[in-house]
This record gives sequence, C-alpha cells and structure tokens, in this order.
Amino acid sequence: MNDFITVYSAEIMRRLRSRIFIVGILIGAIGIAALIKLPAFMDSVATQANRIEVAGDPALVSQAGPLLRKDYHIVRALPGKTTVLPSDLSDAKNISAIIVLRRSGHSMNVVVYARDPGNISVSSLRRDLLPISLQIATGLSHADLGRALKLPVAMRAINSKFGTAAQANDARIIAYIMLFSLYILIMINSQLIMSSVAEEKTSRIAEMLVASVNPSALLSGKIAASATLAIVQMIIWIAVGFLFGAHPGAPPALEAADSSRATTFSLSSVSSADLAGFAAFFLLGYLQVSTMFAAVGSLVNRTEDLGALAGPLVIPVVAAFLIAMTALAAPNTPVVIITSFVPLIAPFVMFARIVVSDVPAWQVMLSLAINIAATWGIAVLAGKIYRVGMLLYGRPPKLAQIWSVIRS
Amino acid sequence: MRAVRDVSFSIEAGSTFGLLGPNGAGKTTTMRMIVGIYMPDGGTIAWKGAPIDGRIRRRFGYLPEERGLYGRMKVREQIAFFGRLHGLVEPDVSARTQRWIDNLELNEYVDRPCAELSKGNQQKVQIACAAVHNPELLVLDEPFTGLDPVNADMLLATLRDLKRTGTTLVLSSHQMWQLEQLCDHFCIITNGENRVSGTLAQLRAAWTTRVIRIEPGGEAVRRVLQSVAGAHPLPSDDGALLYEVPASTELQRILRDLVAVEPVTRFEAIEPSLHDIYVRTIEGAA
Repeated sequence: MNDFITVYSAEIMRRLRSRIFIVGILIGAIGIAALIKLPAFMDSVATQANRIEVAGDPALVSQAGPLLRKDYHIVRALPGKTTVLPSDLSDAKNISAIIVLRRSGHSMNVVVYARDPGNISVSSLRRDLLPISLQIATGLSHADLGRALKLPVAMRAINSKFGTAAQANDARIIAYIMLFSLYILIMINSQLIMSSVAEEKTSRIAEMLVASVNPSALLSGKIAASATLAIVQMIIWIAVGFLFGAHPGAPPALEAADSSRATTFSLSSVSSADLAGFAAFFLLGYLQVSTMFAAVGSLVNRTEDLGALAGPLVIPVVAAFLIAMTALAAPNTPVVIITSFVPLIAPFVMFARIVVSDVPAWQVMLSLAINIAATWGIAVLAGKIYRVGMLLYGRPPKLAQIWSVIRS
Repeated sequence: MRAVRDVSFSIEAGSTFGLLGPNGAGKTTTMRMIVGIYMPDGGTIAWKGAPIDGRIRRRFGYLPEERGLYGRMKVREQIAFFGRLHGLVEPDVSARTQRWIDNLELNEYVDRPCAELSKGNQQKVQIACAAVHNPELLVLDEPFTGLDPVNADMLLATLRDLKRTGTTLVLSSHQMWQLEQLCDHFCIITNGENRVSGTLAQLRAAWTTRVIRIEPGGEAVRRVLQSVAGAHPLPSDDGALLYEVPASTELQRILRDLVAVEPVTRFEAIEPSLHDIYVRTIEGAA
C-alpha cells in the first residue's frame, strides 16, 4: 500500500507540474465554452445576413412587421415605396434584401430584391407571411385567423422520465456534454498513460523504477493518479459547461426548447442519481481503457510504434461513443440494451440510457457488476503484461509470447 | 539460454563487494535478482537473514547498466522523485537531494531537464537517484562506464564516503583497477557459476605462480633463473627481466643466488593484480 501511495502522490505531483496538464485543462475549457456558445454566435452571424427592409402597401407593411421579426431583423419599414432600384441596395450596405409587398386582387404579391438570393429563405418568408395571405384570401378577421392558426396540441408523457419535451431536450444536451467529456478524457488520459509507460521503457528508466517499487503498485499508482487528475479535469470542464450553458430556474418554454437555436439548458433535468451513474461508469470506463493502454505501452520498444499498437484499442471506445449517441435518441433498442452490459462499451451506453430513460435498477446493477469484474480481470492481465513487457527489449513480443505470459 | 544457474555468495554488511565476470556471465541477472526485479525460480536471496520483501527492498538502491532518466524532468526534481519513491518525505527529501547535488557537483544543472545534460552528468544524476535515500545496500551495475577520469575519481570518492557511512556496496565493472581500489571482497563468475571468491589477499594466496622483476638482467642472472624449477621468462619492454616462478619457490634463496653471481639493483616480487587473477580465471574456465 505504501508503494501505491508513493507512486500515486509522486505521479500526481509530476503531472501537476507539467505544462501539458495545465494547458490541456485550459484548452478543454475554452473548447467546451466555444462549443456551447457557437450556436449563439452562428445565430448572430445569421442575423447579420437577415437584415432587411420591408416596403410596399402600407397596410401590408404594418401587418408583416411582427410576423417577419421571428426570422428577420427589420432595419427599416418603407411604407408606400413600391419601386426598388439597384442603388437602393448598394447605398444601404447594412441590409441584405428589400422585400416589397403588394396587394393583387384576392392575393398578396411578394418580391424580394436580394444582394445574395441564397441568404433569404423563400420557405421561411412564405411561412411568416402565410397569415396575411390567408386573411386576404378568406376575408377572415385577424382575431379569427389567429385562433384558427393556433391549433392546440397537448403533450402527454407516457412511461417517460420527463414531463415535458423541454426537460427531455435539456437532459440530452447535458448527456451529450458529459458523454463528450467522458470520451475526450478517457481517450486523452489513456493515451497519456500509454505514452508515459512507453517513455519509461524506452528511456530505460523502467529498470530503476521496478527496482524501487513493486510493478503492480507502479502501474496501479500511475493509473489511479491519472484517473484522479482526469476527474479534476472533468469537474472543471463540466463546471465550465454549466457556467456557459445552464440557465437558472424552470425549464424554458416548449417553443424555445423545440427551436434548433436553443443553446442553454436547465440543470433540473439531471438528477443526482444520473450524476452518480456518470461518476461510477466514468471510473469503470477509465480504468478499463487506461489499463489496457498502459499494458500496450509496456510492449513497445520505440514510441513510434505506439500508434500502430493503440489503433485496435481505440476502436471499442469510438464504437461505444457512437452507440451512446444513438442511445440518447433511442435508449430502448435491443442493440443499445445489449451493449449497455458489454465491458468497454457499457460505461458510455449505460450512462446514456440512465440519463434519457428509466432503466430498471437490476439492469444498472448487473451492468455495474459485469464491468467491475471486467475491470478487475483487465487489471490482472495488464499487470502481467506490464511486469514482463517493461523489461523486455529487442524485438516486440509475439502474440504467442504475450499469451504465455498471461497464462503464467 | 542460461540466465545464471548456481551462484552463491555472502556479503558482509558494510563491505564493498565486486562481482566480476565476462559479458553474459550472469552478473546483471544476479544483481536484478538481488534488488527484486527478477524472482529466482530456485534458491534464496536474503538480507540480514530475512527473505527480501518490498519493505526491505525499499532500503536498497540500484543503478542499472542501462542508463535512463525522465528526459523532460529537471535534475533536482528527478533526484527528489526517486527519494520519494523510496519513502523519503519533506523536508528530508529536499535536504538529501541537495546534499547529492553538492556531492556530485551538479549545482549548475539543477534546473535543467536531464535530456540536456552530457552523458557523464546524466550518469551522475542517476547515481544520485539510486543513492539519495542512503540505502543500506547499493547495487551498481557498471557504474564507471561513460565517466571521464575526473568524474570516475569523483564517483570513487563518493562510493568510499558511502562505505564509510555503513552502506554495503555491490559493484560490477570491467575497470579492474577501480574495483581493486574500492572492494573488500570479490566473486568471479562465468556461465552462471562461481569460479573464485574472497578478499584480494585470499585470491592472491590461491595464485599458483609469482612474477619477479630483476634489474639489470645480465647473462649470469638469466642462468640462475633458468635453473629454478618451473620458472619461465615473460616478455618485457624496458630491459628488466621478468620471470614467472611457482608460488612455492623460496624467493629469498633466488635473491641470494643472484647477488652471488652479479650485482642486482632491483629485485621485486610482483603480486598478481585483480586483472591478472580475472584473466587467468576466465581463461581457466574456458
């Protein structure tokens, strides 16, 4: 135990002092903040492209204003102006189009004068101006038409974890952020452990280390230290995610949640049980993957060989991430349910299921039990490979040799 | 493949033990077994009568033949890191790290990454890493390799200091004169087996011949020496006569006979060096 604590604390200090660790946290935090704020930024860019002037029949211009504001920023209304010259657009550099509305019998005529026709969506114009067109065609009053268009739709959640679409949407956003963090942290830190082990071997310091402390303590201390720091990274990144993405209080209105431009979420959608599940499955996933990577790191003689050996180990992690993404949308499909018990994949998929659906407790417990047993098994095998691999120089060991080491 | 088979020796606490043998004799494997890197599949290794476990091993230090350091880690951090691995805690670890930096004259490099140091200085850092915790037993595999004469002398002095403070040293080296200066006991192994072991005096006592040097080497002197049973001349490049005679030969009698036939200005009985004993032992084993 003393060996473990010594390696653990020494490794923590070594990593904390490294610039790569600090820079990694900062870059990750900036990346998460950027990911969350990117849609809002894109929106603001789109708003610049949607700056318009509305001209034509004064009554139509007046009616169209509130309807068009859902999708466009109206810089100026020009009631009465029906003729548009090229100079009108070139003089006004801050607008992308002038929309002219005219009445023609029992219909409305709309002409768009655009600097870049690709910037103005005809379908959204049609949708926005539809109430005016219908009013002209049917002769209904504005109030009657409004009532007719507001078709009441009631949402009733059945066997769902969430009461409203907004809550479900929020949970998915949070689950996505957490899964993404899980994936990045596991991949980055596992590869860091692998590089660290390979560096110790290729720099020939391994012999001194193994003479100083027990190889099992060396391996477990390194992995535990790395897991601790990964958790610290994760907490910082998730805190940044919540800081930039969460909004206080009740979930947003249904319309806002349905909007593709929603960039914030409510923390009320994720329970403490979800967070506990995340912590447990993060730890299991991390230990499984990083232990395998460390064992592989001990087999290389040159750091250049790491990429080739690590490739097969990356595949299950990428597959797990992709299946978990599917699970966020369809948590109860057979493939998702089965893979939520499979070691290496379950830590991602079961967590995704927990957040977006009501997973029976026995399934969660069974998955935890299988994965704890798998983690132990992987640790035993990796320990054997590591102990031999660290002092094995020359040609890389053949699969048969590795198998005989595992069996010994 | 034969990675050691039947090597057996004991080392007195506080002594300095030289483990000698040609390449592939099993020295490194034996040392790795002493410090617990390899587990022997037969036989026992004990320290002060007890089998070596993790707790005891922490009181050992080891300098492997293959040198290696964390390239990006600074010198001071590296030495302190190994101190912590061996259970040192602050403020002890800092004090001992500084002491070794001073001892090995590494002060100007303390804040530089180890990869930027010369090979010799890297080796000094590694020696400090192996000994920073004042081990009870320090095992050094080829410690003088790669050091220039000045640094080799510095290491020699450092190892003598460690010996004075009670550290037991086990060394392997192909630099015989350094081992001869440092070690109390020796063991020569070939093909994983003991050939000879003991103090230098014991090894010399077991030597079957002696070399004598006589000046000047006139014809009369030659005739006297040729009459000694079992004596035969050795090549000499300075005009003096070199003869190897059986160890049982009475040297006083030879000296008397020589003086009687010709004036002799120098008569020296040359003790076999460790190098001579080593070479003869290896040749004998072959």
